[in-house]
Amino acid sequence: MSKVPTKIYFEDVQVGDEIPKLVTAPVTHLQLVRYAGASGDFNPLHTDPKIGEMIGTGGIIAHGMLIMGFVGQMLSDYIGPQALKKFGVRFKGMTHLDDEITCTGTITEKYEENGEGRIAGKVQAADQTGDIKVTGTFVAALPHRS
Amino acid sequence: MFDTSKIGQSFPPFTIEVARCKIHELALAIGDTNPIYHNQQEAQAAGYADTPLFPTSPTVFGLWGITEMLGHLVSLGINVMRILHGEEEYEYLAPIYPNDVLTGVVTVAEGKSRQGKNGSSMDIITLEALYTNQHGQQVLKSRETIVVRN
Repeated sequence: MSKVPTKIYFEDVQVGDEIPKLVTAPVTHLQLVRYAGASGDFNPLHTDPKIGEMIGTGGIIAHGMLIMGFVGQMLSDYIGPQALKKFGVRFKGMTHLDDEITCTGTITEKYEENGEGRIAGKVQAADQTGDIKVTGTFVAALPHRS
Repeated sequence: MFDTSKIGQSFPPFTIEVARCKIHELALAIGDTNPIYHNQQEAQAAGYADTPLFPTSPTVFGLWGITEMLGHLVSLGINVMRILHGEEEYEYLAPIYPNDVLTGVVTVAEGKSRQGKNGSSMDIITLEALYTNQHGQQVLKSRETIVVRN
């Protein structure tokens, strides 16, 4: 099996390290339409303002998976997509148009498994007021520097 | 009330061909401009065998991306207009690349009903999917929890 490209080595990471944060541009209606097409989730809750008003969410709300995607982008920037072994989130709150999402994360564990270096961490995404949208965890395999 | 006799039930397998343009399109919608997702040559120059999946690309394979999945949920007695997404988790078992042909099997892993104080109820259902590639190798597990407000 070919070696997975890495941006960072196991030795470079310490428990307690903060992952470089990602701050997104304000969420727009166009972005939700584009995300609907990209993901295949065409629920009108995310795309049709009339439905948003009808069901009392205060207009359309973003796909939870878009917010997980922002967190995914932060992890991809940090370690590269193929270092990820596990990535999971819990959806905590609704994201509205014009919200600006900040993704952050911290390394919580460092260990060896099957001769590979592993790191584990916790992640979250919150809006400009600090309201939490998702929380989650990940595990990644990182190569040794030698 | 969720019919707990459905726990353990699997839906018929489905097949997906991994498309390069869907990786590009998803990263674009999220706003990730990293060239490894948008250009095959750039991905290879960065050391990848081919365009890698974006971390949340499996969403395109799963519940929200497969139209027949909605029919399966209806068969469980679920009102699909009342679904909220509770949790999503991926376990990446091996690299997946464009043109791979994946076979997915979705199983009802857990299901329970909860009563609210005001007499309302909700069902909490966890669906697990296991994906195998064209070489018979298991490449991905996903786990998705949905909440249905009754």
